[in-house]
Amino acid sequence: MRLLLWWGGRAAISAATLLGVSVLIFAAVRMMPGGFAETVLGPFATAAQKAELAERYGLDQPLAAQYWHWLSAVLSGDFGTSMISRAPVTDELTARLPVTAELTLFAIAVALLAGVPLGVLTAVRARPGGGGAIGRLLSGLGVSVPEFVLASLAVFLFSRYSLGLRAGGHVPLTEDLAGNLRAMVLPALVLSVFALSATARTTRDAVLNVLVEPYVTAAVARGERPVSIVRRHVLRNAAAPVVTLTATIAAYLLGGALIVEYTFNLPGIGSFIVQAITRRDYAVVQAGVLLAAAVFIVMNMLVDLVVGMIDPRLGAEAGGN
Amino acid sequence: MRHAKLAACSAAALLLTTACTAGGTASTGDAGGKPGYAAVADTALPAGGVLKLQTHVDIGGATGLDPQMADVATSWQLMSLVYETLVTVGPDFSIQPLLAERWETPSPTTYVFHLRDGVSFSNGRAMTADDVVGSLERLRGSGAVWSGQLGPVKSVTKTGERTVTVELDEPYTPFLAALANVPAAVLPVKEVEDGSVDLEKEMVGTGPFTVSAHRQDVSWTFERNDGYWAQGKPALDGVEVTIAADEAARVAALQNGRASMAVLGNVDSRTTLAGASGVEVADQATTDFYYLFTNTLKPGSKLADPRVRTALNLAMDRGQIAQVATGGLGKPTAVTPVGLPDACDPSALPSATGDLEKARGLLAEAGAQDLSFTLSVYSTRPAPAVAQVIQQNLERIGVAVDIEQMDEASWAGKVYAEKPEFDAALSWFAGYADPAMAMRWWNPEQAGFSSAFMRPNEELNGLIEAAGEAPAGAGRAEALSAVCAAVDADAQMIPLVTRPATLGYRSDAVSPGLYATEGYGNMLRLITDFRAKTAG
Repeated sequence: MRLLLWWGGRAAISAATLLGVSVLIFAAVRMMPGGFAETVLGPFATAAQKAELAERYGLDQPLAAQYWHWLSAVLSGDFGTSMISRAPVTDELTARLPVTAELTLFAIAVALLAGVPLGVLTAVRARPGGGGAIGRLLSGLGVSVPEFVLASLAVFLFSRYSLGLRAGGHVPLTEDLAGNLRAMVLPALVLSVFALSATARTTRDAVLNVLVEPYVTAAVARGERPVSIVRRHVLRNAAAPVVTLTATIAAYLLGGALIVEYTFNLPGIGSFIVQAITRRDYAVVQAGVLLAAAVFIVMNMLVDLVVGMIDPRLGAEAGGN
Repeated sequence: MRHAKLAACSAAALLLTTACTAGGTASTGDAGGKPGYAAVADTALPAGGVLKLQTHVDIGGATGLDPQMADVATSWQLMSLVYETLVTVGPDFSIQPLLAERWETPSPTTYVFHLRDGVSFSNGRAMTADDVVGSLERLRGSGAVWSGQLGPVKSVTKTGERTVTVELDEPYTPFLAALANVPAAVLPVKEVEDGSVDLEKEMVGTGPFTVSAHRQDVSWTFERNDGYWAQGKPALDGVEVTIAADEAARVAALQNGRASMAVLGNVDSRTTLAGASGVEVADQATTDFYYLFTNTLKPGSKLADPRVRTALNLAMDRGQIAQVATGGLGKPTAVTPVGLPDACDPSALPSATGDLEKARGLLAEAGAQDLSFTLSVYSTRPAPAVAQVIQQNLERIGVAVDIEQMDEASWAGKVYAEKPEFDAALSWFAGYADPAMAMRWWNPEQAGFSSAFMRPNEELNGLIEAAGEAPAGAGRAEALSAVCAAVDADAQMIPLVTRPATLGYRSDAVSPGLYATEGYGNMLRLITDFRAKTAG
C-alpha cells in the first residue's frame, strides 16, 4: 500500500513537472525574438498577411488562451499542426521517431556493452601503474569533447575514407538493413562516446567501492573464482549507480541527437526540432520539448523500479517500507 | 541558443575541414569557353539517369507550395522544376521565349503574347489562354511580393485562342523580366478554381518534372514529365533532392558520391573540396547583393544625419569586402546589380573615392567624431565576415562598430519589428534580372518592410519611378545612373558587394549547364539540358 502511495506521489510530481515544463517552453518560444510570421513570411509580408497567418494559427489570441487551447489539445493527444509542413505534429514526430529511437538505442547499447566491461576490467585490474591514469584520461576526454567536434571530424574523415561506412544521410531500416547499419554506425558511435566514457568511469568507481566490501573478501577467502565473484557479488552490488546513470544518459543522448542528426543529416526528431526552432514553428518545438521531458521523467521512474529490483534495500528506501 | 550552438557547429565543421585541406583548390566547372556560361552540359551524353541533388533548405513557408507567394530563391529553384513562365532569361539576361513562343509590343504599354502549342499541365490538361489570364490576374490580386514587381498592370485579356494581351498603365521596362520568374508561372487555373488542385499543398505545372514524393525538410522526388512540350527534354529521368541543412554534410555527400550535385553556401567550399576525387566546383555570379542599412528613424540616432551616413559610405572599401569576405567571388556594386545590362559602374560613384579625410571632416561637422554603433548581423556565412570588414573599414575614420551576431529569426525579429531599435544592420537583396527591379526597395513606401526604419526620399523615389519607365537604350542607362548617384548620396541603405553562389558536382555523375550569372538564384535554370553519367 505504501509502495502504491509512493508511486502515486511520483506520478503526481511527474505530472506537475510536465505541467511546469509546458508553461516554460510555451513562454520561452514566444519570448524568443523573431516571430513565426516574420521568419516565414519574410520582410516583404504585409500587415494583412501577418494578421491572416496569426488568425489561422490562433496566434492573435491572448497568450493565456493560446496556452489553454494548446494544453487541452495535448491532453487529448493532439500536439497541434506544424506551421511549416501543415501536417499534424504527432504525424511528423511519429515519422521521425524511428530514426531518433534507433540512434539513441544504438548509442546506449554501445555505451553499456562497451562501457560496463571496460569499467569492470579497469577496476579489477586497478593497481599502481596499471594504466588507471590513461583510462581516466581517455574517459575524461570522452566526456569533455563535444559531439559537434566529433561529428564534424567523423563526417570529414569518413566522407573521404569511408571504410564501408556511410558518413551522412539515412537509409530506412525497413528498406535495407545493411545500408541502414552502414549509415547509423558512425552517428551512433559519435553519440555514444560521452555515454561510454561516463559509463566506464561510473562502473569503475562503483566496482572499486564494492571490491573492498567484506562479502567480497569473504568470497575470495572461500576460494570462489574471480569471474564468479564479479558476476555474483560485484556486478549486482555495483549496478545501481550504473542503472541510474543510464537514465540520465538516455535523456542526455536525446539532446546530443539534435547535433548528431543535424551534422549527419538524419531525418530524426532532433534535426526536426532544430529546424523548428530556427523557423519558430511553435507547435513542433513545444511538442518536442514536452516529449523529451516526458522521456526523461519516465526513464527516471523506470530506473527507480529497476534499482529496487536489483537492490531491494534501495527499493525499500524509496518505497518507505 | 540552440541555433547559435548549431551555427557554431557548422562553423567549426567548416573550419575543421578547411584547415585540413587548405592549400589547394577543387577543379572548376567546365564552360567549354562558351560566353555567359559557367558550365555547359554535354548533350552528346545519353539521356536518362537521376540527378541526386543536395540543397540546404526546403520550400518552407506559411504559404506552402503556392509559387505566386514564394519570395525566396531557394523556393524558386525547386519550384522551377515543375512550373514555367511565359518567358525566361538567357545567359546575357535577354528575355527569351518559354510558354509564349513570341510576343509583340505594339506600344510601350501593350504586350501581346502568342502561346506555344502543345503545352499541357502535368495532369494532362492542355494549357489555355484562360490559364495565362487567370494566373496573372490571381497574382495581381494576391498581394504577393511579386505582384509589385509586375509593375502597373492595367489589364490582362484573352485576345485569341492562343493570344493574351497585357496592358500597362504606364511604361514599365522590367515587365518582361518580372514575368520570367517562378511567381509569374502559368497555373492550372481551372483546377485551382474548382478546388481540385490546392496550390498550397501540391505542385501542378507545365514544367519538365512532376512531384512523386515529398517529405518536408527531408527530401523531394521529382520524376520526368513525359508529356513535356519540348521534344527530347528533359534528358534526366528524375531529380532526387535531399535537404541537408549542414554545409559539412553536403560537402561530405559530394565527396563520398551520395550526391551528384550540391548547393554550397560557403565561399571557402572550393578549398574545402580540394583534392576530392571527381568533384568540380562551379562559381556562379549572381545579381544578389549585400547592403548595409541604417535606422534613421531611431530617436537620437546620429545615423539620421546625412553627413554621417555619407562619411560611412566613403569609408566603405567594397573591393576589400569582396576580396576578404567573399573570397574574391563577389564584386562591388551600386544599387543596380553589377552584371546586369545598363547597370551603373560602382567605381564612378562619389563614395568610391574612398576619401577618408573628407569622411572624418563630415563626422566632425556633424559632431560625431566619437561615433559608435551596433551592427546587427545574422550568423549565416559570409555575412559575419562582411560585417568584420565593415568594422575595420570604419575604424579608419574613428567609428567604433560593435557587431551583434544572431540567428536569422532573431535578426528578423529585431530588424523588422514595428518599432525597430537597431542602429544598423546587414542583409542582402535578390538582384533579379533587370537593373530597375531591386531598386524599388529603396522606396520605403513601395517596399513596406523598410518604412519603420527608413525616411522616404521623394527625389530618390521619383528617380526610381523614372528609371522603371525608361525604355531600353542610352536614356535608360542615364536614368539608372541617376538613381545610383541618389542612392549613394542618400546612404540610408548602402549597396556593397554581390553575393556569389557555388555549386559542387561530381564530374563522374553529372554534366550540368549553368549560366555564369544568375538573376533569380536558380542554379537549376538549365535543368532540361543536364545529363546524368550514371543511371540512378
